[in-house]
This record gives sequence, structure tokens and C-alpha cells, in this order.
Amino acid sequence: MNMDRSMIWMTVAGVLNVGLVLLVAPFFQGVLRKVTARIQSRQGPPIPQPYFDLLKLLGKEDIESGESPVMQRFAVYLSLATVLTVACLLPMGFPAPMNGAGDVILLIYLLTLCGICTLLAGLAAGSTYSLVGISREMMSMITLEPQFAIAIIVGALHTHSFRLDTVLNGSVYAVDGFPFSGLIMLVVILMSFQAFVQRVPFDISEAETELMEGPLMEYSGPKLALFKYAHMAKLVIYSTLFVALFVPWGSEFAFPLGWLLFWAKVFVLVLLVTLVAATHARYRIDQAIRYFAGLVAVALVALVLASYGH
Amino acid sequence: MMSPEQAVVVSILICLAGAVLTLLVSRSKTVAGWLAFLITAATAALIFSAVAKVLMDGPSPHPAAFWVMPRFGFALRIYVDGLTAWFLLLAALIAVPAFFYSIAYMRHYEHYSVARYYPYFLLFLAAMYGLLSTTDMMWFFFIFWQLMTLPGYALIRFESRKPENIRAANKYLIMMQIACAATMVGAEVLAVTGAAVRGTVNLMYDFDTVSANLPLLLSTRPMATAFAFALFLVGFGIKMGMWPFGQVWLPDAHPAAPSPVSAMLSGVMIKTGVYGVMRYFLWLVPISAQADYPLARWGMIIAVLGTITLFTGTMQALKQEQSKRLLAFHSIGQIGYILLGTGACMALLPSASPVTSALATIALFGALFHVLNHGLFKGLLFLNAGSMLHATGTQDLNKLGGLMKFMPLTAITALVASFSISGVPLFNGFVSKWSIYVAAIQGSGSARYLAVCALVAILTSALTLASFIKFFGVSFLSRTSTLVRTKAETGRLEVPWMMQLPQVVLALFCVLLGVVPAIAFSLMQRVLQASRGGLGTLLANVAPMKTGLLTGASPLNSAALLVPIALTAVLGLMFLLAYGISKLGRAPRRAAVPWLCGYVREADCHRYSAHNFYGEIKRYFGWLGGAPHPHAGKKPALKELT
Repeated sequence: MNMDRSMIWMTVAGVLNVGLVLLVAPFFQGVLRKVTARIQSRQGPPIPQPYFDLLKLLGKEDIESGESPVMQRFAVYLSLATVLTVACLLPMGFPAPMNGAGDVILLIYLLTLCGICTLLAGLAAGSTYSLVGISREMMSMITLEPQFAIAIIVGALHTHSFRLDTVLNGSVYAVDGFPFSGLIMLVVILMSFQAFVQRVPFDISEAETELMEGPLMEYSGPKLALFKYAHMAKLVIYSTLFVALFVPWGSEFAFPLGWLLFWAKVFVLVLLVTLVAATHARYRIDQAIRYFAGLVAVALVALVLASYGH
Repeated sequence: MMSPEQAVVVSILICLAGAVLTLLVSRSKTVAGWLAFLITAATAALIFSAVAKVLMDGPSPHPAAFWVMPRFGFALRIYVDGLTAWFLLLAALIAVPAFFYSIAYMRHYEHYSVARYYPYFLLFLAAMYGLLSTTDMMWFFFIFWQLMTLPGYALIRFESRKPENIRAANKYLIMMQIACAATMVGAEVLAVTGAAVRGTVNLMYDFDTVSANLPLLLSTRPMATAFAFALFLVGFGIKMGMWPFGQVWLPDAHPAAPSPVSAMLSGVMIKTGVYGVMRYFLWLVPISAQADYPLARWGMIIAVLGTITLFTGTMQALKQEQSKRLLAFHSIGQIGYILLGTGACMALLPSASPVTSALATIALFGALFHVLNHGLFKGLLFLNAGSMLHATGTQDLNKLGGLMKFMPLTAITALVASFSISGVPLFNGFVSKWSIYVAAIQGSGSARYLAVCALVAILTSALTLASFIKFFGVSFLSRTSTLVRTKAETGRLEVPWMMQLPQVVLALFCVLLGVVPAIAFSLMQRVLQASRGGLGTLLANVAPMKTGLLTGASPLNSAALLVPIALTAVLGLMFLLAYGISKLGRAPRRAAVPWLCGYVREADCHRYSAHNFYGEIKRYFGWLGGAPHPHAGKKPALKELT
């Protein structure tokens, strides 16, 4: 009986999370575009424009230019599927729906799988520009992945647990005394957050002006729509992950208030991303890697501090 | 019904007889191939039944003695406990597909006779069965070690017309002799004070005798004992490819051998080193010696060496442009994970807290599971590389591209193997890495360095992914290279079914163990319960995991969990959802050529090849070594690339 109820709860919460991500992602993108435009003294598109863009793309001709179209299709579907699966692993104002199906290590690796799909898609398209893009994307993944991994491990060390509900609840600060490691990780992740959501100044793998969207260059129609959708959803996913891990305050309130507060925090983070993106220029890949490597080094200090209980 | 020990001895004898028989029929490649395969299958059946008996009913009470010469301390005593059974299982499991693959694969060697292939390959297999089950640390260790090394040497220099293969084989031979000497000197140090402890026969180099003498030796001569254990670590470290020894021989030897042999070298042979470390450092030391035995310190050394090994091996692999050389460097990298798991187990085992000792068992589960997984996916990858070599005649990734269109089945199995080795969830590599991370990170309360080791391991798994994105991408995806196009015009590239089947079987194992890891966990639980010797007894007494098809795997303190079946279901549903969304607009679909920014035709020199990948990372880690070309160390001229 208990098992049944928790199954039903999991399903409801999962549907809610997935639906919410799908619904909210284009809205955030719309806001992002509007605010960027205003900062750059342009009028900007109306906020619902990304919804129309997606709908339009879904009906456009789907040109497959790669030599292994099956792999192109597989990569595209898996790309959105992975992002939505991650949505089920995250608490979004409620406990994580798949709390009973995996832990934070699975989360780290699923976030990597999101990246792998883009890489496979770029490789399957096979254009030289795509390959340059995926080489860059992979190099930044190598330096980015340890940062989130350390943030999550710091939380896991503090709470002696890998469970999603325990770790994704401000666990980085869960120490007696001043949470040095947690605050260091907060700064580190904030400083590389643009890269996690692939926005300027770290959208190096897509770099429209030189690589013409890199891995996505050869994609059109519904495939491009799915990629764009996954890209927008990633912004939501990483923002909720950040809020759950680093900004837990207020989530203890009762249902409507705590839930609204959670999404308000996510929204503020999106605005921050927009602000940084609109006012910075893109880095070169070697500059970016050096920058991330420095952050990884700082994060390692935090990890050592965390293993000593600070 | 044979006892497990008899089954092993019979298997060895069958292999030896088989070596003679295949030599006699070596005129016909096909007949010799089928004969060798049938012999291997017969021994595998014997080994499987022995393993099943040990894991179901427990091991025999005593080692079985087949040949004892007390005056020299010389005895062929065979013992199959759980640990041995696990490694025997691996050997048989990889040998069968490797031999089956050989039948069709060896046909493409027009200028070489299989008289120098199958007999040696069977001797090699026999030696592994023997080395994994003998209890003699000196004479029979030596015999089986040489029986493994010399045929291995012959197999590595099989294509003897290429001078680099001869050099690789010589290096292998020298390193293996150093390893053999180190291990035997270590055994001598431990046995030198040996007296007849048990029974009337003075078997001074037998596990039982050495183990019984060890408490006294540890308390009276701690430095000498430590020296002996250091020698074991060096000897087995050379064998398994541990940093810094592995880099010397392994990356040259594995690519030189024919691909099925590479699969066995990397999948099974280097694991005998892992077996040695586990056996000598954990099972040899009796519980009564625990107070004088610095287990946690050895654990730290092994875990740190493992971490260095996994990082250096994988980083060097990232620089490679030859398919099998790339895979060989990854063998070093993956051995690092196994060592990290073993080291973490040893570091956590002395702890008094039951939670920590449960974590020690989980770390060992991770190491043992990764031993099996690495055998499966690396064996598969070497077979894939063999198929690519068979189809295109080159190991050079720069010259490949677009093979998926021509050999789809090989491509899919290579993708499965690449995902497995990179630790993508739902494949077997992820589960074993997960166990190692869980143990290392949670155990960092009692051994603080383990958190950093685990982090390096997580970082390295991203490097592994990068390397395999390159491996898979530039050979199977990307665009058809000139070489592949020329080859495709002259004939069919996809390998015959006899080479496809072993690849498919191994790929299915990778997926099965990834989705239902409970199979492996419950087997490993039995493995530990069936190997109650020395400190292994401490491990056998713990049941650290709750496992099941629907409940997945979770440590007893429920601080971590993994339910692959639920993840499969959710990911599958989301995949359908994504598919559904893409079909909403009923968009028409059309094939076209990619846009080349105005260039009319595509030339090989415009392709982005393996050489171009990850330039910045390679530059930053240039000091780490690992030249992409085995001997000259020179970069290929642009002309060669085009």
C-alpha cells in the first residue's frame, strides 16, 4: 500500500517536473532575449517568441546531411530525453521524483550524458565545423565536470550521504561552524555557471560567428527544434540544480510559498545569466580552459577542506 | 563429477594437448581455428562448471595436490576458491569469443602461418588457468608465469616482418622476466625462515605455509616482510601495467599482437597481476597477523598508485592516433580504477566501525566488478579495432572515417563498448565505477586522501569519454575518408558473421550487467563467501549491499543507491516523448550533403581528423609523455595525413 502511494507520488511529481521544464524553458529563453535586447538598446522579440520558433521549426523540412542519419536521430532524441530524465532527478520545489532510483553520482554522469548527445550529433553530421565545435565542447566538459562533481561531493561529505534529497538541499553548508568549502564552491560554480548553461562568454563550441553553431550547424527542422529545446531546458535544469545545492533558504515554507520562492530564485539566476551574457565577449578555448583549470584548482582546495569537515 | 581443482587441471591438460593438435593441422587455417575454438569451448565448459560448483557449494576443504616433491618444496597444488573462480570465469568468458573471432580473423594474414598462432594461444590460456589457481609461490608460479610469458612473446611478434613488433615483444619479454624475478625474490624472503608447520610435507613456498609463518615474520622482521610485499607490488604492477611500469611495455605490446590476442592480453592477462595483488596482500595475510601488518598503509600506497595510473594512462591515451595503441593506454587507465578500488578496500578494512568495513567490501566489489567489466568492454573494443583493421588495413585513426555506413553492426557494438568504458549510466562500466566512488568518497571519513582520489577518478572518466568520443567519432562517424571510400569500392567492408557474433555477445553482456547489476553483485557476494582465507575472511563476513532486479543496488546504510531498471524505464519514456514531439509538425525529411561554406568538393586534407582533436589539452599535458607513435616519436608529416 505504502509502495503504491509512493509510486503514484513519484509519477505525479515526475510528470510535474517534466511538464514544468518543458513549459518554462522557452519562457526563460524569451525573457533572456528580451532583457539582452534591452541592455543592448534594442527592442527585442516579444517574450513568447521562443514558443513560436519551436513550433515553426517542428514543421520545417528536416535535412539530414550526415552519413549515418540513424545516429543523428538517436542523438537528437536522446539529447532531450536525458535532459528531461535529469529533471526527474532534481527537486523543483518538491522532493526529487526519482529520489528512490538513483543518487548524486548518477546525476553527475547523467549531466555528462546530456553533453555526449550533442557530441554524437555533431560527429554524425560530420561537417568540419561541427567537429571543431565538438572538440571544443569536449575540452570544456573535461574541465567543467569536476567542478560540479566537487560541489556535489562536498555536500555528500558534509551529510555522509549520496541521496538526492539530502544532498540537493543546501548540503554544501551543512557543517558545524563556518562553511568554508561550501562558500568557495558557491563562488566557483557562479564563476563558471555561464559555461554550464552554454551562454556567452563560454558558448565557445557553438560560436556563431566562427563555427556557425558548431555541432548544430547541419541540423534543421524538428531536429533543430529538439536541440534548441534541450538547450533551453538545460538553463532551467542547471539553475534549479544550483538553487537546490547552494540557495536552499526558504524551501522549508509550506507548499505554495516555498514552491513560488524556489522558482523566484531560479528566475533571478536566469536574469543574472542574461546580464553576464549580454555584457561580455566570448573567450577563446585556450583562455577558457586556463580559466576553468584555475577554478578546478580552487575547488580542489574546497574538497580537501570538506574532507577535514570545514 | 570432477572437483573444481580436477576440472582446472584437466582444462590445462586439454589446452596442452590442443596446442599439439592444432600444430599438426595448422596447414589449414580453418580447421586449426575450429579445433582451437572447440578446445577452448571445452575447457570453458569445464571452468564454468567448476566456478558454478565453487560459488554454489563452496570451495573444497583443502587444495588438491597433484604432484609433490617435498625435497625442493616443489608441489603442484591447485586450489579454486571464490577469488580464483572469479578470475577463471573472466578468463573463460573472454577466451571463447576471442578464439571464435580468430577463426575468421586469422584468414587475412596471408603471409603468416597459424602454426605460430593457435598452439601458442592455447598454451597462453593454459598458463592463465594455472597461474590463477596454483598455490605454489615459487616453482609452479615460475612455470606458469613463463608458460604465459613465452607464448605471449611469440604471439606479440606474430607479425614478425614488422621490426616494431619484434621490439615490442622484446620489451614485453624483458619486463615480464623482471616481474617474475621480483615476485620470486619476494616469495623467497617470506619463505626463508619457513619451517614445516602443517603436516609432514615441507612445502615452504605454499600459500598455507607462508601464511602460517607470516605472523611471526611480521612481528620479528617487519622490514624484510615489507620489502617482500613491495617486490610483489612491483612484480604484479609490471604485469598489470601499473604506473610507471605499464607505460614501458604495455602500449607497444598490445597493438603489435593480432587483435584477438590483444583482447586476451588486455582483457585477461593483465588481470593476473590484479589477482596477484589481491591474493598476496589480502588473502595471504592471516587475521592473527593483523596487528603487525600495515594494511592501511599498503592500501594508501596502492590507492595513490592507482590514482596516478588511471590519470596518466588515460591522459596519454587522449594523445593517441592509432586505434589499438589508444586502447592499450586505456588498459593502463582502467587498471588504475581497479587498483584504486583494491587500495580503498585495504585502507578501509582495518576500521573498527561496521559501516566502514562494509565500505571496504563495496570497494572490493567495485574492483572485482571492474575486472570483469574491463575484460568485457576492452575485449570487445580490441575485437572492434580488429574488425576495423580487417576492413581497412590500417590502425591509423587519421585515415578512417564514416565506417558506420559500411559496417553498422561493428559500429553499434563499438558504441556500446565506448559507452561502457566511459561510464555512461545503464552500461556495466558505470556500475563498477559507481561502487568505487561510493566506497572511496564515503570512506574518506577514515582515509581522507580517498576523496581526492575519487575526484581524480571522476575527472579521468571525462577524459576517457573524450578519448572514446574521438575513437568512435573519427572512425565510425565523421565523413568517409578517401581510404575508406577506396576500400568500399573494391568490396564489402562489414566483417563476416563469425567475427560479428563474438562482438555482439560481448556487447550484450555489457548492457546486461549495466541494466541488471544485481547478477554481478550477488555473484561477487558468493565469491567472497567462498574465499575464506586470511583477511579475506573479514570481507566474507560482511554483506554490504542490498541488491535485486527491482531494487537495484544500495549499500546497507542506504546512503547511496542505483536502480538501473527504473532509470531505463524513465529514459525510455522520455525518449518516446522526445520522439513524439519531433513528429508533431509532420516535417518532411530529405538527405543532402553538408554545407562546406562555398567549397565545391571535400578533400581529405580538409577533414578534421584524430590528430586535430583536443589540441589545447594535449598541449597543456605535453610533459606527461605518451607519444602517439610507438618508436620514432615523430609527428606524421602532413603528406601522410592527407
